[in-house]
Amino acid sequence: MNKKITFLLTITLLFFSISNAVSQDFSISGKVTDENGEGLIGVNVVVKSTGKGTITDIDGNYSLTVPEENNVLEFSFVGYKGQEFTITSSNSSLNITLEEDITSLEEVVVTGLASSIKRSNLANAVSTVSAKDLTGTTSPSTLDGALQGKLTGANIIANSGAPGGGISMKLRGITTITGSSEPLYIVDGVYMDNSAISAGTNPVTQASRGSNITTNQDNPSNRIADLNPDEIENIEILKGASAAAIYGSRANAGVVIITTKKGKNGKTKINFNQDIGYTSILNPLGSREFTVDKVRNLFDLTTEKGIEAANAEVALFQKAQQEGRLIDWEQEMYGNIGLITKSNLSLSGGTEKTKFFISGTLNDEEGIIKNTGYSRKSLRTNIDHKLSNLINFSVNSNYIHSSADRGLTNNDNAGVSYGVALTSTKPWADLFPDEDGNYPNNPYAGSNPIQTRDLSTINETTNRILTGSTVNFHFINTDDTFLKMVLRGGVDYYNNESNVYFPEDLQFMGVMNGFYSRGNNRVINTNASAFLVFNKSINKVDFTSQLGTSRLDFNQDRLTTQATQLIGGQKNLEQASAVSVFNKSLKTIDIGYSFQQEANFADKLILTAGIRLDKSSLNGDPNKLYAFPKISAATNLHNFDFWSVDPISQLKVRLAYGEAGGVPSPHPVNLQQPSFTIFNGTGISGQAGSIIGLVRGNKDIQPERSKEIEAGLDIGFFDNKINLEATYYNKTVEDLILRANVPYSSGFTSRTVNGGALNNKGIEIALSTTPVDISNLKWESRTSFWKNRSKMTRLDVPSFTTGGFSSALGIFRIEEGKSVTQIVGYVGDEEVVIGNAEPDFQMSSFNTLTFFKNIEFTMLWHWKQGGDNINLTKLLSDFGGTTFDYDEDDDNNGIINGDQRKIAYSEGNSADEFIEDATYLKLREIALFYNIPKKVIGSTLSNYISYLKVGVSANNALMFTKYSSYDPEVSNFGNNGISTGVEVTPFPSSRKFFFHLSVGL
Amino acid sequence: MKLINKIGTQLLLIMVILSGCQIEDQIDPNSPDLTAIENANSAQLNNLVIGSLSQMRMELETYMDGVNVIGREIIRHSGSDPRYISDLIMGNLDNNAFYTTRPYAARYRTVKNLNLLIEAVNNSTKVSEESKPDYLAFAKTIMAHELLMVLNQQQSNGIRLDVNNPDNVGPVVGKEEALNAIANMLNEGYEYMKEDVLDDKGNILDLQISLSDGFSGILFKEFNRALAARVAIYRKEYNQALNYLNDSFFTLETSQGGLADGAYFVFSSGSGDITNPLYLEQNNTGEWRLANPDWVTEADPNDLRLDKVSERKEAFFHKESKLSSSYDIWLYQDQLAPIPIIKNEELILIYAEAKIHLEEYTDAINALNIVRTNAGLEAYNGEETNETLIDEMLTQRRYSLFMEGHRWLDMMRYNKLSELGDNVHTAFPTPLVEIGI
Repeated sequence: MNKKITFLLTITLLFFSISNAVSQDFSISGKVTDENGEGLIGVNVVVKSTGKGTITDIDGNYSLTVPEENNVLEFSFVGYKGQEFTITSSNSSLNITLEEDITSLEEVVVTGLASSIKRSNLANAVSTVSAKDLTGTTSPSTLDGALQGKLTGANIIANSGAPGGGISMKLRGITTITGSSEPLYIVDGVYMDNSAISAGTNPVTQASRGSNITTNQDNPSNRIADLNPDEIENIEILKGASAAAIYGSRANAGVVIITTKKGKNGKTKINFNQDIGYTSILNPLGSREFTVDKVRNLFDLTTEKGIEAANAEVALFQKAQQEGRLIDWEQEMYGNIGLITKSNLSLSGGTEKTKFFISGTLNDEEGIIKNTGYSRKSLRTNIDHKLSNLINFSVNSNYIHSSADRGLTNNDNAGVSYGVALTSTKPWADLFPDEDGNYPNNPYAGSNPIQTRDLSTINETTNRILTGSTVNFHFINTDDTFLKMVLRGGVDYYNNESNVYFPEDLQFMGVMNGFYSRGNNRVINTNASAFLVFNKSINKVDFTSQLGTSRLDFNQDRLTTQATQLIGGQKNLEQASAVSVFNKSLKTIDIGYSFQQEANFADKLILTAGIRLDKSSLNGDPNKLYAFPKISAATNLHNFDFWSVDPISQLKVRLAYGEAGGVPSPHPVNLQQPSFTIFNGTGISGQAGSIIGLVRGNKDIQPERSKEIEAGLDIGFFDNKINLEATYYNKTVEDLILRANVPYSSGFTSRTVNGGALNNKGIEIALSTTPVDISNLKWESRTSFWKNRSKMTRLDVPSFTTGGFSSALGIFRIEEGKSVTQIVGYVGDEEVVIGNAEPDFQMSSFNTLTFFKNIEFTMLWHWKQGGDNINLTKLLSDFGGTTFDYDEDDDNNGIINGDQRKIAYSEGNSADEFIEDATYLKLREIALFYNIPKKVIGSTLSNYISYLKVGVSANNALMFTKYSSYDPEVSNFGNNGISTGVEVTPFPSSRKFFFHLSVGL
Repeated sequence: MKLINKIGTQLLLIMVILSGCQIEDQIDPNSPDLTAIENANSAQLNNLVIGSLSQMRMELETYMDGVNVIGREIIRHSGSDPRYISDLIMGNLDNNAFYTTRPYAARYRTVKNLNLLIEAVNNSTKVSEESKPDYLAFAKTIMAHELLMVLNQQQSNGIRLDVNNPDNVGPVVGKEEALNAIANMLNEGYEYMKEDVLDDKGNILDLQISLSDGFSGILFKEFNRALAARVAIYRKEYNQALNYLNDSFFTLETSQGGLADGAYFVFSSGSGDITNPLYLEQNNTGEWRLANPDWVTEADPNDLRLDKVSERKEAFFHKESKLSSSYDIWLYQDQLAPIPIIKNEELILIYAEAKIHLEEYTDAINALNIVRTNAGLEAYNGEETNETLIDEMLTQRRYSLFMEGHRWLDMMRYNKLSELGDNVHTAFPTPLVEIGI
């Protein structure tokens, strides 16, 4: 191999000497450093007139021969602002400092399956979140939390405050009604499963009633939460079909492309980060303060029995009052101060041939409810190796162990979840254990939540391996032509175990006599693909062609076994007399072909066209190919010769159209595929039976298809010190897959059909500026604004309700011509629109202030305006007589709030009172970091330490909202397509404070 | 370059292999689908029988709570759902709430399963022609029961009878027509098993299908006739009712068979099975299922049937509705307790009712006294007029069939709903999804 390299070098040198021979050349050398004075390795130094050049070495040094006088030397490096210098032969040495480029126009964006494009040539607004944006401010424990407020065009809602994450992310509005609107996640080329797997508490909570073991209401986290945000280099988000078309029939809701960190050529760097922090409830509501009168008023005082009962209750109240035993149950349940620790050690470095990045992280987090918490251990090894000039490859492997104790929150119909039990539990209730550890029964609810919290186990543990490899074959690699083949394979394997135990002495275990459940869910996703990429320059036009094929195999096997009637104190499925089983598996195969052609006219005009052909076993006809075309154009007006408006340094006009699909997705909980009409298993008297399934299958089911047109304008002013990116999109989703209600008399409750279309229109504006840039102060700011409007444009099935409990409790109605996210309910006898979950708009502002180069202050504000929630926590609290604002009288009509809302609900069947505006303004992240200068560290230590950084930060530091529950960001039904924003006693959100220490060796 | 060519060719081959895959036709990996019964064997038919019997019990608690609350027999309250009181007692009924839709959908799901059973039986070449009538007898009888349950809630709103084609369900027919059709369906089922089949020893053989334990002790055709008698009473066909009783397990000789003889929904904690959904512990909180205090206070204090309730340690109060009760329902004392589908005690009272209407008062009083004696009460000594005997019969039904879903229906049949309370709902609304079809 060495011989080959030598040979190549000789050729290169020969090449240079030829050019030398024909011109008056002179040499120049120097050092390129970053703002901290560190040498930058790999900076391109190019002579503009010839395009020939070199790159800097390990210390940032370069030397180059320049052919003639008055030549322009270009310095460019990804992530830094490029610079140009006109040089004469008098310049024998030139040292320059490159500034980091927050606008990242030169950054390369991986948009295609095997190709990338410079951001400045992109025809779509692709959001990128860098490592610095992601984890540079504070320490989000899961990826989902790390993205909040950082993505223009995304509506991200944390499903609850439970440790271990769980979000619903919608890019550019709703894209599906029945499936999950979650985007596709691809990590270093590996398709990463993002299922939310129920822990199986439904038999106890009866959240979705019936005899189901699993439910989407038991607050599972999505499995994308397993990925350690610290290992991520950057995240690119293809928000709509126009950008994501080439990803085909699973890209309807967008694609999130995650690239993890890689080693760089040079000295081995060792980084150690230690975070320590604590978490506490973000927004305690307070409790209703009782008086004797209020206690009496809980009863019907018009009857003798009522008065008798009221007197008895008053006696209990007064006794507790005298003994100082009135408990603030909110404080007791949600008042835990949880400790958070995170340690991360990473090694990275490499040689010309081999580069590596190794990272290990230990994460431990307690929740604001006792006995809840999250822990994760993550180990990653990324290796890049250049075998020869022909072949290079990379291998990325990640092992993750995560464990979450998420408590028993959210909806239930048995009065057993903590929150539901507390809605009716009075402050004078006696719930604490005696000296022998015996808990009294709670007379005010179906359970003693303190007992449930202290004695139950609700744990999910995941062991996961994510590994992928890419091999590149560079068949041809000349100045104006290259041909490469890219082979890529990946595996995502995990085993998710749930472990749920309710011992027999719990108040609500009288009938079940103990409940023990073990889930064992196995997921194996593999993906394999091969691409040919051919590039040729003809007359300054750069043509890139890409041809590829890929195959995805997604396999799931879910098994949950539950035992009741346990032998006392035993956590074993055998120690029980009643056992039931949930066992579902899913195997899907997707095969796709893609072709894309790109033509780049000297960075002035960039045209791209492509097509993806996909088939999937989830479609009614598994071998039918569905085509998803795309076409786009971007023109950089400032690159044309006629451009002479100096203050405007960049002006790009872009237009893109594309189509993408959404395969008919299996039911997220029971994995039933839309094409089958099945019989469910059941039994009586020890005999097994078959009962027709509730959902009528459809053999003709096709993928959903979104068609998106996106137009935008990118303007840079004053050397791109001010950048404005404005985008308008119009996205139509056709062939919507609907679980249409059918007349129940048919024996089915719904049928999966392609039966409608919806439309999302929206704008996204992002403004990056550097308002202040003086010697010791730099202020960088990025402000985004985005809004989306969705509408059902066609509905072939009768209008139906979905995603809530019932019309009386507020529910989403899918109706032609109306907003997709409208909430309906009764006012009088009429069912009318009483709300809409879609925000009016969202804004976020990310600001970094750097003082004296070493002190950095960062703030991320996020404002969501409008969008309604269905607050059923309040409804239950009102009926339980415990709402914090029960005794206030907001409208001064003489009837206190609690009574007024109850009367309105009871008399009118109306949830109107419980639909609330979920506007908020949050200071999502705030941090102050101090990069301790070497002179402060001292010369002895400086020899060993390359940097030392300390800081403090907070996550969810402030929240301003009129919403009358814990957090307007909430979702009882997890990441279900439509029904985010419904709340029933969720796990309250928390605020987190951190102290950070970061050392580099 | 040779090497490159070689590698290149191999790589191209990989691409071809990757792309050349044909995806096989898919079958559900978890469950049998409709194709499984295209030509069913007896095991598959039996699966549908057992599935239907199991399904009959689903949402039974929702049905019972609905009709028993509206019938003011019980008070039901849930800490997590105010609608049992706010809607069923105080407000309007919601055509899309669980109490309306869930029992409705569950009964029609059984009906669908039975229609599939009938279709599978008719299409099967794997089961003998002699065994087919047994399946059809079963299917018709159970289907009639399920439709009657729907009609009991829908009342004057009517129900759909012809529901076999999911793309085009039949029309809604009125209450009278529906009752006639249900009666005919029972007769049709009975025809398949009318002739006694005897075994070697001369005993009458029951259906040659394995049913649930809830049908042990009676012949299935006797069950069919018992249901027919119930329907006949609803249709005011009193002579018919008496005829049907004769072919049922009805007996006035309570020494021979207890009042409790009959057909039952049975439960177990086995895999795939369910436990008694109406069972709640005594003194339960969070979920309450209580006797309306009137039921206790208006009873004869000596009535042994008062053991169907148990006094709570702490009384239940609901302020908005002014409802209160100190009595837990204690009809089912463990979670495996069976729930009657129809029992001899009801048949005796059907007999009494028919006899009252036929003005054969001695027979009627005789029957009523059997029930009274059994409840520890003295023989009837009231007036022998139609009106008083009807009242007495309704009272005995109130206590003998407590919480079995009869009170509301009985009072409606005799136009006495106003005696139950104010604003007693007269029917459950047609479910939202059924409107406009």
